[in-house]
Amino acid sequence: MQLNHEKRELTIKIVYYGPGLSGKTTNLQVIHSKAQPSMRGQLLCIPTHDDRTLFFDLLPVYFKSKSGIKIKLKLFTVPGQVIHNSTRRIVLQGSDAVAFIADSRHKATEENNTYWRNMRQNMREVGLDPQSVPTVIQFNKRDLPDTQTDEELEKIRARGKEPVVGAIAIQGVGVLETLFAVLQAAYRDLDARSNISLNLNMDEEEFLAKIFRHMDTSSSSLHF
Amino acid sequence: MVSESVLDKKLLLKNLVSSEALSQMVREFAELHHIGIRIFDEEGQKLADAKTDGGEFCSAVFATPSGRQTCAAVVSRLTNGPLTPDEHAPLALIETPPPGTPPPLVISCYAGLRYLLMPIVFDGDILGRVVFGPFFPEQLQPWPASLDTTNHSDWDMEQLAKLAENVERSSESKLLRILLPFSSILHLLIASGQRAFYASSMQVETTLEHARELENQNRKLLQMNERLRELDRLKSSFLATVSHELRTPLTSIIGYSEMLSDGLAGPMNMEQSEYVSTILERSQSLLGLISSMLDITQIEAGKVHMNFEPISLGELVRLSLASVRPWVAKKKITVTAHIPAHSDAVGDKERLKQVLINLLTNAIKFTLPQGKISVVLTEKEYQEELKAPGYRLWVEDTGIGIPKDQLDNVFRSFFQVDSSSTREFGGTGLGLAIVKGFVEGHGGVVRVLSDSNQGSRFTVVLPQTPPQEEMDIPHPVSILPSDDRF
Repeated sequence: MQLNHEKRELTIKIVYYGPGLSGKTTNLQVIHSKAQPSMRGQLLCIPTHDDRTLFFDLLPVYFKSKSGIKIKLKLFTVPGQVIHNSTRRIVLQGSDAVAFIADSRHKATEENNTYWRNMRQNMREVGLDPQSVPTVIQFNKRDLPDTQTDEELEKIRARGKEPVVGAIAIQGVGVLETLFAVLQAAYRDLDARSNISLNLNMDEEEFLAKIFRHMDTSSSSLHF
Repeated sequence: MVSESVLDKKLLLKNLVSSEALSQMVREFAELHHIGIRIFDEEGQKLADAKTDGGEFCSAVFATPSGRQTCAAVVSRLTNGPLTPDEHAPLALIETPPPGTPPPLVISCYAGLRYLLMPIVFDGDILGRVVFGPFFPEQLQPWPASLDTTNHSDWDMEQLAKLAENVERSSESKLLRILLPFSSILHLLIASGQRAFYASSMQVETTLEHARELENQNRKLLQMNERLRELDRLKSSFLATVSHELRTPLTSIIGYSEMLSDGLAGPMNMEQSEYVSTILERSQSLLGLISSMLDITQIEAGKVHMNFEPISLGELVRLSLASVRPWVAKKKITVTAHIPAHSDAVGDKERLKQVLINLLTNAIKFTLPQGKISVVLTEKEYQEELKAPGYRLWVEDTGIGIPKDQLDNVFRSFFQVDSSSTREFGGTGLGLAIVKGFVEGHGGVVRVLSDSNQGSRFTVVLPQTPPQEEMDIPHPVSILPSDDRF
């Protein structure tokens, strides 16, 4: 979180982390398409020649609170390919919350675990406490064969404190729900640490409503 | 970790678009539309400026002290003033503002000139401002009432009136029409600049981060290496101490056994003699093993001191063959030797004899009964490997051989091709390591040619004279090559 009192600006950094090809960029593309142009910037992608993320993707989302504070959300993805670990660390640095995009297929379990451990290790390296960074898990690609069943997802949910959201990002399913969960977790954490509801005179309801009222939530389970 | 990443810093217009690109853009727009255009960053610093003829009017006013004073307020309002409308800066009459572009403001100056002030907004952040103008509104009379010439006695009214004719007469609506293409192109420039800026900055940050990671790993490796060296030193020191402490009592055991066996303590019956002879034999075998361990620890610690003296290699071969003869006879192995008439060299007699005995005992050990061993010492000739004159010595057997993939390991300390507890052939795995250490101590090389069930041929190449008085025996556990130059 970066708070500029003089300019009355608050910047919140959300990072989409996960294995290569798990759907991080797709999540940002969907958010970009669902958000009204007035409240979001361009989706910046710097891909490799084979269309994989090279450094990161960035989607800025912004709004003004009732009290006149400009809130800017910077949604980043990390590059998923193994070789880009240093880049992942740079992007992860200073993040306020993380959406971990996992692949639901059974065969991806080991890869999910590897990247989960990698994320926690990288968090430690950049001075973040993995226990306290708000994290939401998205189980993407629910439409593919051989995915974990809902019962299996329930078991995974019960194993940790992180909210778990099922998704088919490529169809837009579960993307806004994941964003909602991660922003809610980020707000609650920032409020607990910096009391932003009082200091910025903006409660959780306003924070989330200002974002999601300007998004096309019609095909999601969100109601604003 | 690197300090704050470029991703977490505020974007600055000057980092995204070069001043040259901005200047070219405003110049071309200014020429096309006959209007002055200036671009300022968020701090009010001018990044691009294209004046038109109309600017001469302002310059002439600004050149006079009273004009400068009255212009300063307008200039300040244009470069640093708020971008939100107020009573002095109303919104321009604009029906459909360009998407993503906040509506421009109209700033009027006391001389009746007008400016359009347009914020540069990108991704929700204000990066700077564009000032279009000055221009005279089309409907304006030549001199506005606000121009009270009595306050400006230093003005040359005639010249100003002439220059005022050059000032663009325009309407806001006409100007607003150029805003759309102007902001679109500026937006494109900024977007592509942002992409290039992030890509190049991330390239640098990633490289630095990668270097930092490698440095960390190197530091860990160095620490580990230092620990290994320390452990290696401890091992060598431990082995040397233990070997020494074992040898002392063993010498007594051997001495007293010999005395018993020689009957110095009175006659012994057959059984007693047999027991004492077994004690003696096993003690000597143990002494050999301890000596080998002491040798290898000295080699590993780099503490071997060679006593070079004139020697005859042929004589050494003969002596070594003599000392293994009982064992050869026992296994019914045929040994042939080819030794030249002259084989004078300089070397450490005891060490070279041990090299030969180790190679021979190895050959005998792994050669089955009825097998053959041949020993060949060549004439003195130029040795390519050593770039010096020297001798080659082959010890070849018809034994079980060594699998090809193990050939690199046989000279390592304590290495056994078959290291299982049920292996057929005994030994400590030190013999060949000692051979290598001593041969290299002479400036020579040792090689092996073998394969499973194909027998083995060990070749020792020795210089006639070792290259220097005392060779540094390479440390077998040197992990990192030291290439310090200063």
